Amino acid sequence: MTSVVTDRATGPVEPEPIPPVLELVGVRAAYGPIQVLHGVDLTVHPGQVVALLGPNGGGKTTTVKVAAGLLPMAGGELRYAGQKVNGISAETAAGMGVCLIPEGRGVFANLTVRENLWLATGTGASREQIEERAYFRFPILQDRRNQLAGSMSGGEQQMLALSRALATDPAVLLLDELSMGLAPMIVSQMYDTVAQLVEEGISVLVAEQFARTVLPIADLAAVMLHGRIAAVGTPAEIDADLSTTYLGG
Amino acid sequence: MDLFLTYTLVGLVMGAVYAIAASGLVLTYTTSGVFNFAHGAQAMLSAFLYWQLSVGWGLPVPVAFVLVVLVFGPLTGVLLHKTLMHGLRDVAEVTKVVVTVAVLLGMVSLSQWIWNPTEARSVAMLWGNSTSFELLGVRIRYHELLCLVAAAALAIGLRLLFTRSRVGVTMRAVVDDPDLLRLNGYNPDRVAMASWAVGASLAALAGVLVTPVAGGSLEANTLTLLVIDTFAAAMFGRLRSIPRTFVGALFLGLASTYLLGYAPTDWDWIGNVKTALPMIVLFLVLLVLPQDRLRGAQQRTRERTRVPSVRFAAGWAVAFVAIMFVITKIANPLMLGPWTAALAFSIIALSLVPLTGYAGEINLVPLSFGAIAVIVAYHTGVSGTGLDATLAWKGLLIGTVAAALVGGLVALPALRLRGLYLALATMAFGGLVSTLVLSEVTPRDWPIWGENTIFPAAVIAMPHLDAGPLDLDDEATFLMALAVLFAVLGVALVALRNSGYGRRLAAMKDSPAAAAMLGQSLVRLKLSVFMLSAAIAGLGCILMASAVGSVAPDNFLIVASLALVMLTVVGGVSYVSGALFGGFMVGMGFSLINGTFGNLEAGSDMYAGLFGSLSHVFAIAIALTGIGVNRNPSGIVNDICESYRPLRNARPVLYVGVAAGLVLLGLNWVEVIGDWSFAIGIFCVVVLLPVLGRIWMPERVLTESELAEHRSRAAVVPPELRALDGPLDPEERYDLDTYLGLPARALPALDETPSDLEATRV
Amino acid sequence: MSEPSGGAPLLETRGITVRFGGNTAVDDVSLSVAPGCVTGLIGPNGAGKTTLFNTVTGMQRPTSGRVLLDGTDITGRPVAKRAALGIARTFQRLELFLTLSVRDNVRVAGDIVNAGRRFRGGSIDVEAETDRLLELTGLTPIADREVSDIPTGRARVVEVARALMTKPRLLLLDEPASGQTEHETDEFAEMLAGLAATGLGICLVEHDLPLVMKLCSTIHVLDQGRLIASGTPAEVQASPEVVAAYIGGEVLA
Repeated sequence: MTSVVTDRATGPVEPEPIPPVLELVGVRAAYGPIQVLHGVDLTVHPGQVVALLGPNGGGKTTTVKVAAGLLPMAGGELRYAGQKVNGISAETAAGMGVCLIPEGRGVFANLTVRENLWLATGTGASREQIEERAYFRFPILQDRRNQLAGSMSGGEQQMLALSRALATDPAVLLLDELSMGLAPMIVSQMYDTVAQLVEEGISVLVAEQFARTVLPIADLAAVMLHGRIAAVGTPAEIDADLSTTYLGG
Repeated sequence: MDLFLTYTLVGLVMGAVYAIAASGLVLTYTTSGVFNFAHGAQAMLSAFLYWQLSVGWGLPVPVAFVLVVLVFGPLTGVLLHKTLMHGLRDVAEVTKVVVTVAVLLGMVSLSQWIWNPTEARSVAMLWGNSTSFELLGVRIRYHELLCLVAAAALAIGLRLLFTRSRVGVTMRAVVDDPDLLRLNGYNPDRVAMASWAVGASLAALAGVLVTPVAGGSLEANTLTLLVIDTFAAAMFGRLRSIPRTFVGALFLGLASTYLLGYAPTDWDWIGNVKTALPMIVLFLVLLVLPQDRLRGAQQRTRERTRVPSVRFAAGWAVAFVAIMFVITKIANPLMLGPWTAALAFSIIALSLVPLTGYAGEINLVPLSFGAIAVIVAYHTGVSGTGLDATLAWKGLLIGTVAAALVGGLVALPALRLRGLYLALATMAFGGLVSTLVLSEVTPRDWPIWGENTIFPAAVIAMPHLDAGPLDLDDEATFLMALAVLFAVLGVALVALRNSGYGRRLAAMKDSPAAAAMLGQSLVRLKLSVFMLSAAIAGLGCILMASAVGSVAPDNFLIVASLALVMLTVVGGVSYVSGALFGGFMVGMGFSLINGTFGNLEAGSDMYAGLFGSLSHVFAIAIALTGIGVNRNPSGIVNDICESYRPLRNARPVLYVGVAAGLVLLGLNWVEVIGDWSFAIGIFCVVVLLPVLGRIWMPERVLTESELAEHRSRAAVVPPELRALDGPLDPEERYDLDTYLGLPARALPALDETPSDLEATRV
Repeated sequence: MSEPSGGAPLLETRGITVRFGGNTAVDDVSLSVAPGCVTGLIGPNGAGKTTLFNTVTGMQRPTSGRVLLDGTDITGRPVAKRAALGIARTFQRLELFLTLSVRDNVRVAGDIVNAGRRFRGGSIDVEAETDRLLELTGLTPIADREVSDIPTGRARVVEVARALMTKPRLLLLDEPASGQTEHETDEFAEMLAGLAATGLGICLVEHDLPLVMKLCSTIHVLDQGRLIASGTPAEVQASPEVVAAYIGGEVLA
């Protein structure tokens, strides 16, 4: 990443800055009786790539779900561009430019590739524009355009999922386990695409178990353990402690 | 050959109508997760409205057609979704079923209010019954052609909708993954609403088309139960696939026509079999459907229950018997009839407590199982004639066992599947009983049984049980016997819930996956509880028949069963008291209220219309209570009990209640007020006492948080005045800014952020 | 793969493959679990651990492959039958009986066992056994609480106590430590070690790797549905494939 972006990320926040694109303050959340987040503080500044790392069960998925309005919060505050948006619905959040590519396959398995892309127009882009951008970036999707998304390989499905982010020009992109169950080559292709989006000025929060695939493109990394942010630092700082965090030394 | 073609045409037309109705049902079910039992009722209302517009008011047929199918249909769909179905996400299957059943009952009441059911109405085919042309020697009427064309157009139209329109694609997407759809910026509720609109207009279309095809006379119940034929067709596609539903519908249409056409002429029963064919096919389809996969996907629902202890139940049982004893002493002897009927219905309603309350499974037609018990008891246990006739214990026992066995047989095919399938199977069984069993009113030569009649002359006179020294012919004695039986059964059911068996039922209801993982065979457990339930329903129905004196097929109507089930759920199906509520509403409420309004209507010329309307309003109000289950899925009785819990700390309030009750009792005793006023008075006291408690002694009744809310509500400060007491915190400042419509802080809009950045980078 | 020394395995999977549509969730996995010790099953999210558990318990039919318990093929047996043969499990997304108290959650497992054995004898004393298990798992103080309002960590222990009521020979635990506090996890580990010492075979899916490393004598590692390593904690920790699978991409350090 360019040093400009890194400076912006780690430098002190002056009183007159552009407000963070996305901000979670003391967020708590639960699935039924199971409280998963115990007060999460997280900030994504414009143009920044924040990696949310940590072993499974730490609360990464829940954090991004809350950030996208998919899961109601039990406490704390969620802000988009400085505005408090607690209780926002996922569809409204999507309309405001918050794009979450969820964990697993973020595609409608029983819809064709074209139909999947068509639904991405829900946030305003035209159908032609979306198809054009998606096929340009992932030519394989054009060959598969009339195939059911569920019948494609995991990598192709993830390309399709990521196409929504490519085509709809969101303000902030939330990625959950982009690399889950994918071959390393596909994963690096995915992250190339993400890097390209970052070039275009999109802010990214990426929850990722495979720390080392994402650290190279991150400006800032946070480690989540037991529903809390356990550490925040530059990728280099976090990288040094990874083994301990994951495998328990 | 001509004959074959004619049969084929008629079959295809029937199948086409089924297909239109069934595809609407499948559409709403898959996109909203609510199975609409009122689908047939919507068709019925539309058919009546169409009759009113075209025949009653003489509007041109095309205008009436468009108004009903394209205006009324979608409007009811949207209205239903907005007011009810939309709130049915986090409730148990039982609640979903009961809400749509309540809509069904409400629509039936509404239609009977507006269109007096004793008047005959008929709907002619569009373009008249005789406009036709000939093709290959078959006379095809334009209406029939329209049915075929409409179904074909629908098949193509739905295909286009689902693949070529964004709305249609979102409908498929919401089935796949509603959350992902939200992330794409769509509201799944909107999608569900669209599908309810389409589904309802398909119901309307089917309603308008079906009546002339099926004979021409307009009848509310028959049309309402069209939903059974419809879901039989939908079962071919596992309630999901619309193409397979079409195939199922055409199969049913053709099969029933060929069956009727090619059966030997001396099979006079074949007409009934034809009517019952969809239900028979439904059971066959259930047998071949693959088993549902167990998955650990526990969902929290809003229903809450409290398990009473056996001691607590026994205490109430004694009190209940004592109250009933007092009633036999003070009530007008002529009024004992409704009381016994109400108790008998309460016993039938008890059958739902273990099945639905404890195990979470649904039987929509307890009265149909009861009908089997009544018939068997009549044929095996009644001896003597006229006033000397008695029912032997043997008959009571065999009848009860028969209901249990039939129950097991009916439930078995559906038990491997989700709860909804069991509900559908029971409703289909209700249809079977109506068309095949209750219609057997003339003698027939049976294979083993010989020359006999199942339901002789459409009336079964059920004498009282021969109970040795106890003279059950005496109304008061019979009433007390029923009261004791109800109390004993009630305590037994509470004891059952507190036993290992009851815990296993609760475990299965809460998490089938975990129960199976601990070694519980789910099918066996469900089967046992269903048989128990059917047995109780059978016993209750025999007693009901004997309380009423004689029963006709009309006593076992599916709609009556549905009302009983609904009212029991409204009362609280996990509690014995809920069964009491349901039983009394059905056994006493209906007859008393209709009787009272009927008398008033007859007695006063001036207000006849008013009183007539009031009884209809009441019928609809009852349906509305069922719809209210959505708001309060744990039941009314549970609610009342909960509201009394805090009163333990406010004894004076309770004393006032008891005093008021005694005063009313005294006034009734000296005949200052009638039984009716007494009942209404008691009801008011029961309902108002907790309210009195909250007003009179809030500090003893309300909880800490409620008290705090109480106080803060008393002292609401408008936001613009808040700063007078002290500085605003950021949250208040934000609220105030929003309230005053000021820009909270000078912030760039979110959407502009990236482009701004791009600019700075360049 | 490395067979634990001393006797036949309790559980054995042979070439288990599970496909959902175009995705292979579990790909030709053969592994074994020995009695009397804790075997770990780890791997990144989506590696197929829970799917493998589901095939062992019968909740998921494998596309191919076989499941053997004590050498007997149980691949086609229904879920409830496997429980009677001695398999018990807990669930990742808690499956408690929400309308029952903590005590009744445990007790009903005994009720189920007794109902199944009514005609075969060998019924258990449910009350006594419930008390013993509540004591053993440290749940006695909250025994009469509604299970719907206890913290997650405790709820996971209730699932374990409930599973133990069936007197299993093989206990499958799906992320039992998530939601537990550090202190609770320590106690839990101690309890598991104690249970294993009585001869129970435990298979543990867990993301808390320190716990897994501490407790397990053998660890199997799944990645993208395939078994990529098996061995002692030390062996697994040293395996470059495992480090790569967990941390991703090329190994930098």
